[in-house]
Amino acid sequence: MVKKSTPTQKAARMLDLVPYISTHQGIPTKELADEFGISIPELLSDLNALFMCGDDRLDLIELEFESGYVSIRNAQTLNQVRNLSYQETVAILLGLDLIAKDLPADRSDLLADIDSLRLKLGKGFERVIHASPLAKGDVVAAINGALHAGRKVEIEYEAVLDGALTSRVINPIETYVADNRDFLVAFCERADAQRTFRMDRIRSATVLDKLAARVSSAPIPDEMVKATVRINSDSRRSRESLGQFISGAGPDVEVSTYSFSWLARTVIASGGAMTVTGPKEIRSDVASLAAKALSIYR
Amino acid sequence: MSRKSERLVNLTIALLGTKRWLTKTQIFQAVDGYEGEPDAKERMFERDKDDLRNLGIVIEVGSFDPLFDDEVGYRIRPDSYRTDIKEISSRELSLINLATSIWQGAVLDSPALSALIKLKSLGIESDLDSIPAISPTINISDDNFVAIVDAISERRTISFTYLAPDLSQQERVLEPFGAGTKGGYWYVAGRDVDKKEIRLFRLDRIDSQVVKQGKASSFEIPQDFAMSSLLASPLKSEIATLKLRRGKAHRILNMSRIIEEGDDWIVVEYPFRHQAELLADALWHLDDIEIIEPLSARQEIITRLTETVAAHG
Repeated sequence: MVKKSTPTQKAARMLDLVPYISTHQGIPTKELADEFGISIPELLSDLNALFMCGDDRLDLIELEFESGYVSIRNAQTLNQVRNLSYQETVAILLGLDLIAKDLPADRSDLLADIDSLRLKLGKGFERVIHASPLAKGDVVAAINGALHAGRKVEIEYEAVLDGALTSRVINPIETYVADNRDFLVAFCERADAQRTFRMDRIRSATVLDKLAARVSSAPIPDEMVKATVRINSDSRRSRESLGQFISGAGPDVEVSTYSFSWLARTVIASGGAMTVTGPKEIRSDVASLAAKALSIYR
Repeated sequence: MSRKSERLVNLTIALLGTKRWLTKTQIFQAVDGYEGEPDAKERMFERDKDDLRNLGIVIEVGSFDPLFDDEVGYRIRPDSYRTDIKEISSRELSLINLATSIWQGAVLDSPALSALIKLKSLGIESDLDSIPAISPTINISDDNFVAIVDAISERRTISFTYLAPDLSQQERVLEPFGAGTKGGYWYVAGRDVDKKEIRLFRLDRIDSQVVKQGKASSFEIPQDFAMSSLLASPLKSEIATLKLRRGKAHRILNMSRIIEEGDDWIVVEYPFRHQAELLADALWHLDDIEIIEPLSARQEIITRLTETVAAHG
């Protein structure tokens, strides 16, 4: 959060402080700094600078903040809320778009609120921007809540590999983002091991009353699968399907992953665009998986 | 450094508080900080005007007497400076609170924060209990997104390097009309100047900085343009008949119509768009999915699997 602001950013903040303090007279310095996402020294520097401003040299803005509480007087000219910028409007509207698609079915009242906000914030934007979420917002909220409160969670999960639907009790450890997706690391009681879940494949999440077991966040010593893969065609799609696990410019690339099954399915689903070129054991394992798939047609 | 920010604030106060046009001479007299040679003052003033414009503050330029344009004046109209949003309910503010919090750590986090501050300055208290606990996520740290949003707002052409399906690098020139996200990916859409048609680009396939070029307001966004329809799921007009192993491939099952249920297998009708996508879906699930129809797809999957076995033998 601590970024050195440019004089222009500082000026913008000074302009925005005036109407904010006016409607929040007597706000504690700390709270005001937090609201603006700045440190207390930075806020005090803003307020001191604002102290020197006014309609003319004899008619300055009156600020009181030595007591640790901030109040303002004589700032008529600046005491108005500035227009939202284009970026600010886009940020709000994209956020509202995502919320609208996450609302429970029985909250049509909030959908109506969002529609009314869209009108208030600006016509025309609805043509220009659009957002729909990948993971379900209520699932993410439940997981974050459980992480915060240290609770177990019961989830309904659709496995990435074979698409099997299972219900399991997990002890959340951490979340992270990779390749534009949200992931959850948790200790899974069903597997009795640490597992990584893709947030968008969690169908539902219920926070339980039970406290989560303390589990170490040390990675499980799963064996890394390392293979060389030749990209024969569809280079962009092939590389993207290997995602974060790839190194090398191609056509021959190195792939390191914890899941042989994921690698085999990715290569087989490419329909010939990729071939595993080594090592021999992985090649023959891919061959036998493909042969097994072929057997249902015989 | 702080003198500059004070000067900008004082300049804003002077131009906003005046009912008449202010000439440069009057501004230099009234606003502290314009010092030095006349040329230096002029340059300072020009830079300050640009900085205020970049903050979205519109400075009007006019003259005192329409018949004599010898000296121009400046002012900021209060109704263009202040927001026209007046009434906002506390539940609406709570929704905005949630909408802006989504950007924490993502690329629009500071505009999201300043937007929230402005709306909170209207003096309404939010009522967070009135909205359900949902926290959608936005994962975009790509600075190109900000450049694209600005270019759309200024209606300026952009150029960038794009990775083609064969990974070759193509130079694209685009009149950006819209931006958005779906399925975890971010997109920009607009009129491709060379191809002369509307195209959609994925931000993670842009392999360079997005560069704004040319003048502002150099194109109009067509009235019938809608980002939502460009990002809508394509029509799936083909139907495949598949056998799914019970308990597996739930995503496919969810999108299908069940025809027949056995102990181990479920026969379904599955809508798809292109045969290539159907094959990729079925191949991923190995021996958990059998394609019954269309026959061409069944033939093709047998060929592909046979080839894959041979290529790995």
